[in-house]
Amino acid sequence: MRSLVRFSAEGEGFVPPSSNDFNLPPIFGDNAYTTKPILLVGLSVILISVFFLLSSRKAAIVPSKFQFAGESVYAFVRNDLARDVIGHEFMRFVPYLFTLFTFILTNNIFGIVPFLQFPAMSHVSFPYVLAIFTFVIFHYVGIRKQGIGKYVKEIMFMPGVPKAAYVLLTPIEIVTFFLTRPLTLSLRLFANMFAGHLLLLVFILGGDHLLKGVIGLKLISPFAFAFGIGLTFFEFMVQCLQAYIFTLLTALYIAGALADEH
Amino acid sequence: MSNREENALWSIFGYLLSGLIFWGGIGWALDRWLGTGFFLLGGLLVGMAGAIYLVWLRFGRD
Amino acid sequence: MTGTLNLVGYGLSAIGPAIATGMIFAAYISGVARQPEARSVLQPIAFLGFALAEALALFGLVLAFVL
Repeated sequence: MRSLVRFSAEGEGFVPPSSNDFNLPPIFGDNAYTTKPILLVGLSVILISVFFLLSSRKAAIVPSKFQFAGESVYAFVRNDLARDVIGHEFMRFVPYLFTLFTFILTNNIFGIVPFLQFPAMSHVSFPYVLAIFTFVIFHYVGIRKQGIGKYVKEIMFMPGVPKAAYVLLTPIEIVTFFLTRPLTLSLRLFANMFAGHLLLLVFILGGDHLLKGVIGLKLISPFAFAFGIGLTFFEFMVQCLQAYIFTLLTALYIAGALADEH
Repeated sequence: MSNREENALWSIFGYLLSGLIFWGGIGWALDRWLGTGFFLLGGLLVGMAGAIYLVWLRFGRD
Repeated sequence: MTGTLNLVGYGLSAIGPAIATGMIFAAYISGVARQPEARSVLQPIAFLGFALAEALALFGLVLAFVL
């Protein structure tokens, strides 16, 4: 959108993409609830629901291709993430992990789908909310399992340490559990999506700008576009990986809260 | 890599960051309060030492 | 174009820990691949080495924002 406006003004220098490119205007009128990220999140919810409802509705013993696709995603989350990490109590957490994985994955991949091309997770508030969910769940699970006193005691006091060292270590443990974990969880996802989108903008808009230049620059611009396309595939890998890592860490935190000793 | 190893790597990162943030933050606040310049460095070093000690306690010994 | 040189300095200072982390895990992986039963001996050493290298990288990160 912005690039069209920008390049119609002749003689203006190249404006490198910045964080302003992420503040998109509302699509319908003046309503702040119809910005592109919010509509994309809504679309992702609809797409995920429709896909998995359709793929599981006519479940057969010999699966169709559609059913197979849905079931392999589910089996991946259930077996490779939940069962291997959490252990024998894993079935309670599969719905949350599965929702988390498909939601993040779909929203990330929107970053490279033509015409949508915006990862909603590059707005930091979406990862924050997801990290708060995870934060509440893993502490709740730990408190339910071990009782509040034992759980807090286990977080705060390492066994087998001289008493004086607790002054040094206990604050670090508390900060780790209550601040660093949710913060790094959300910022990792946010930073990867933000940087990836910015990278693609740099190459595509830069190539576009080079095409407007003198003949020598025109010859360079195909390389910029080729790099942009290559980086798009790289982005696809990063987006899948980040969805996986977010879900894996959630499962690891839950497993840590469930375990009797760390 | 097994899950224990992945877990350990992310935990180590978290511990180091928390140690630096907490004790470095205290040093930074003391510096602001007293107008000195060495508490920040001291706080960061204390936080780093504490975090590495914690990593050793949790992952280094058998 | 405006910016702060601190971040350039941090970028330069992060090269060292990055190479160190790579070398630590390269050595760890090849050690475990050659002798899988040595894993329990090598693992704490690799993690501590990783922690020491990573601490320097985070030290640089914090200082880049504070100074």
